[in-house]
Amino acid sequence: MAKTQMDRRNFLRLGAASGALVVAHTRPHMLTEAAGQEQFGADRWKRAVGDRHSLTRRDLKAVPSSCLQCVAICGIIGYVGDGRLVKIEGNPRSPNNRGMICARGQSGVNQVYDPDRVLYPLKRVGARGEGKWKRISWDEALDEIAAKIKDCLDRGHPEEFMLHCGRNRCKWIQEPFCNALDTHTVGDHTSICEAGKWTAQELTWGKHYDINDVANTNYLLNFGCNVLEAHTSHSYFSQRVIEALARGVKLVTFDVRLSNTAAKSSEWVPIKPGTDLAVILAMGHVIIQRDDLIDHDFLETWTTTTVAELKEHLAQYTPEWAERISGVPAADLRRIALEFATHKPSTVLSYRGLVAHENGAMGERAAKMLDALVGNIDVPGGTCLNVTGKWGTPPDFTIPGSHKKLNILDGEGLAYPTHHCSHKVFEQIRKGAGGRPKVYMLYVHNPLYVNGDCQANIDTMKDESLLPYIVALDIALSESAQLADLVLPDATYLERYDPEAPQSYQLIPFVQIRQPVVKPLGEARAAQDVWMELARRLGKGDLFPFKTSEEYLRLACANTDGLKEAGGFDLLAKEGIFVQSDQPKYRKYAKDLGALAEFLTANAGAVHDEATGVVWNPAKNAANKTGKYGDHKDDYKSYLGQVRNGRVHAGFVPDKVPKSGLFELKSHLLERKGLPALPSWQPIPEHQSMGPDDLHLTSFKVNVHTQSRTQNCKWLTEMFHDNPAWLNPATAAKYGIKDGDEVVLTSKSDGTKGRTLKTKVHLTEGVHPQVIAISHHLGHWAYGRYASGKEAFPEVEGEPPWWKTFGVRPNWLIPNKPDPISGQWSQNDTVVSLQRA
Amino acid sequence: MNGKENTQVQPPSSRRDFLRTTGVATAAASLVSAESVLHEVRAASGGPHYGMVVDLRRCFGCHACSAACKAEYRVPLGKWNSWVNSRETGQFPKAARTFLPVLCNHCENPPCVTACPTEPKATFVAADGTVQLTDERCIGCARCERACPYKVRWMLAVPPDPKLDRFKDQVARKCTFCVHRLADGLVPACVNTCNARARIFGDLKDPQSEISQLLAANKAAVLLPDKDTQPKVFYLGLPPDLDYQPTNGGDYARDLASAA
Repeated sequence: MAKTQMDRRNFLRLGAASGALVVAHTRPHMLTEAAGQEQFGADRWKRAVGDRHSLTRRDLKAVPSSCLQCVAICGIIGYVGDGRLVKIEGNPRSPNNRGMICARGQSGVNQVYDPDRVLYPLKRVGARGEGKWKRISWDEALDEIAAKIKDCLDRGHPEEFMLHCGRNRCKWIQEPFCNALDTHTVGDHTSICEAGKWTAQELTWGKHYDINDVANTNYLLNFGCNVLEAHTSHSYFSQRVIEALARGVKLVTFDVRLSNTAAKSSEWVPIKPGTDLAVILAMGHVIIQRDDLIDHDFLETWTTTTVAELKEHLAQYTPEWAERISGVPAADLRRIALEFATHKPSTVLSYRGLVAHENGAMGERAAKMLDALVGNIDVPGGTCLNVTGKWGTPPDFTIPGSHKKLNILDGEGLAYPTHHCSHKVFEQIRKGAGGRPKVYMLYVHNPLYVNGDCQANIDTMKDESLLPYIVALDIALSESAQLADLVLPDATYLERYDPEAPQSYQLIPFVQIRQPVVKPLGEARAAQDVWMELARRLGKGDLFPFKTSEEYLRLACANTDGLKEAGGFDLLAKEGIFVQSDQPKYRKYAKDLGALAEFLTANAGAVHDEATGVVWNPAKNAANKTGKYGDHKDDYKSYLGQVRNGRVHAGFVPDKVPKSGLFELKSHLLERKGLPALPSWQPIPEHQSMGPDDLHLTSFKVNVHTQSRTQNCKWLTEMFHDNPAWLNPATAAKYGIKDGDEVVLTSKSDGTKGRTLKTKVHLTEGVHPQVIAISHHLGHWAYGRYASGKEAFPEVEGEPPWWKTFGVRPNWLIPNKPDPISGQWSQNDTVVSLQRA
Repeated sequence: MNGKENTQVQPPSSRRDFLRTTGVATAAASLVSAESVLHEVRAASGGPHYGMVVDLRRCFGCHACSAACKAEYRVPLGKWNSWVNSRETGQFPKAARTFLPVLCNHCENPPCVTACPTEPKATFVAADGTVQLTDERCIGCARCERACPYKVRWMLAVPPDPKLDRFKDQVARKCTFCVHRLADGLVPACVNTCNARARIFGDLKDPQSEISQLLAANKAAVLLPDKDTQPKVFYLGLPPDLDYQPTNGGDYARDLASAA
């Protein structure tokens, strides 16, 4: 044994006897084909990994496409035999997921062959919610909807047609469709997701997403992100985290419970909910005092503040102060801060544990501040601005955007609801001051289930005086679709076309196809095609230079840089993925566009706004009356560059708000609204008045489900169909509660005060003693036999579930409270009291 | 899903001498000298001898393998070829959680083969070392299912066959190391999809294969070594204090859901 180790020592880099992980390069699977063959020789490479890069299994047809079981949009290959989808696997050509997919991706087959899937248009008979339907033809359905929409158009109120989208990957047709009808009353769901994270980034560095360059990093500092179970880029981000751990990179996770990410971390630091912001500010306090560790040049020349100003501002946020608030020991806080600052490049991970709080947007700004302090911004191994592929569009296809909308999308009194406030839409409809939709169309959205305060929303949807006509485009008779007047069978993601350009974790731009792996089952039709048909019936067909999604995609491919030269649609349909450049893009903000004088000469209409340093084209925004950049909200659309030291740079390109091209660590936009300009502590008001026995109710995701829409996937729900509340045994002991006992939680939060929820508990040492945590995937009361135990179509036979529990829904107790900056749903703020049942 | 028709390598009784486990396995340490296994299997037939390493230091319990296996075999609800257990230890704030993927161990000394009463055997060790199944010989007695200490076997209901007498209309099922994929030169479905690259599959006889290199360089352990089944699924990073109580499908479904 020893001899063998000696022989292999150089090759395998065994490291310490403590069980250091075998380093990545011994694993042929982790290498690209070229690198693997080079390192191992073609023969050994093939033996080691098998013919895993083969795109065909001999007896099946391989169809590359894009997963949509979450928004990581992994490259997949569907294997089809006799028109039946047999298996889904990862596409080895994807620079992101590299041939691997997660449990949800594997279970996409269940979406197609779900016995409770809606396959025919259904029209309500009886009262809303009675559950009585009659099957009608598509023609009848489309005639009816078109007539209802036409009524809005004829009355001069197109904005009374509202489209409310949940999982929407087809903006390429959804936006033109709504623009063609001149309605801008388009809702989304982002505020219940991570609106706070995106808005915070828009206020700070520009367009989301943030990409943690894990492959090249030396330290991972995590606030409330559970990447190993869920994330916008879950699968390929988690792959790289494991690789990083394997090469000895430290991962420190702050979380209120032991998520699987915390479990694999080098350190799990438990923390009180809503106090991550305090810890981050205190880490900033520690780091800013170390002139030898901070990136002076970046802070002084690329941000809107100075080192001196930061030192002064952060002085108040001592580690001892943060310990009192968060429970995190000051010594640990100091140590971790210095580890983060001395293992550069490092990167801060953040998600809903940080963001889904009333101070969440502020938290995300603070997280970006930490990265900025040590020079991690958009560098290899740091926290990078997003890189995606760039799609062309069909030539001569522009439909002017509509400005007509009901004033119900953005909540009330929010500073910068750049991603709307969708969980407040029903409240706005109830109030009425912003108008009410006459036609309310849901697209893959289940508002009754996914928002807080479920009962109020159920009552709203049932009320025909508030919502006279409801259409749902969905594959399931979801809780919300059940209350519709018309349900249209949508195609699953495996049965339709979309152009995709996922966020790229190798920071190289690539485009990806979504194409039908199988034909839609029954009479299902892709919403993309339904909208085009509706547009035609409403006399807007001429605005679209294509009749089908496939036609659109062919035209788009023919207009996409690199792809058009390489083989266009045919190439993309065959390979699934096209990489537009193999050069990773870092320091995008620093791209030099020339000396200022020359830039102004070369760009007609360009003006240098001396106050902000922005170069922009004021003529493009007639609504700006002062001529000063930033005085009108749409000024960012005319942004051209940022001046620094007499030269124009690409800068931190603003998106959605008129930020300058600098990294606005100090936000003038927040200052304008009377909010703290620099990341500052904001205590959560209701947490300051908690009783000694009150608990924080938080929620979380698990690795086999995605939000609300995978619970009809039998292979996934088989693995997770019950969600007892996580409770610390020491806390449970105070009440004499044992594992599996039933408890009653009573909300003490405004908006749901007094509401109760009965649930079982799961005692675990992996949760903060002041927290009770309930996963929010479960608690369906519809959606089908696997999700709720109730068949949507009892006459349809399917493999029966063996499980008898379907979980509880914490949302009944969670008020729809928004973060005042972004409108983010603060779903982890709720305070509850606990009694034995 | 049936195994290819292959001659059995050796009848079970002689395997006990065939495989000596040197430098081994106190009950507490539960370590296996992988080199001894490698040495012996090299002496057998000329083709590959397959095994798997599961690296628990990498596994993060994502269940891609559990779902991939369900999909690959269309395993019915309630039964499992491969699953992932999880286990929590420690006390707050030093709580910990580890994951344990389980599948058929394709034992060198398989009790299921010993238990199978048919002649020729409906379940057998193929030349490549994998343990395979043959529906045509299976009489549905379920002795193999009961004999497996790892609980990786289950019975699939089948229509009655007028040409075959079965004790009961069912046939044995389990992980076959994706024998149908091996024939096409593809790795098993679980290996293919594992996001942590925690499953390494290959030829134990080839000293250059990744699996052989890993076993040579790391201490590996097997499940239930006292049962003397000589598993060919080796774990890196198996907790030494693991008191493994096997059940088909593991405890995930129950781990977070206190009710059974």
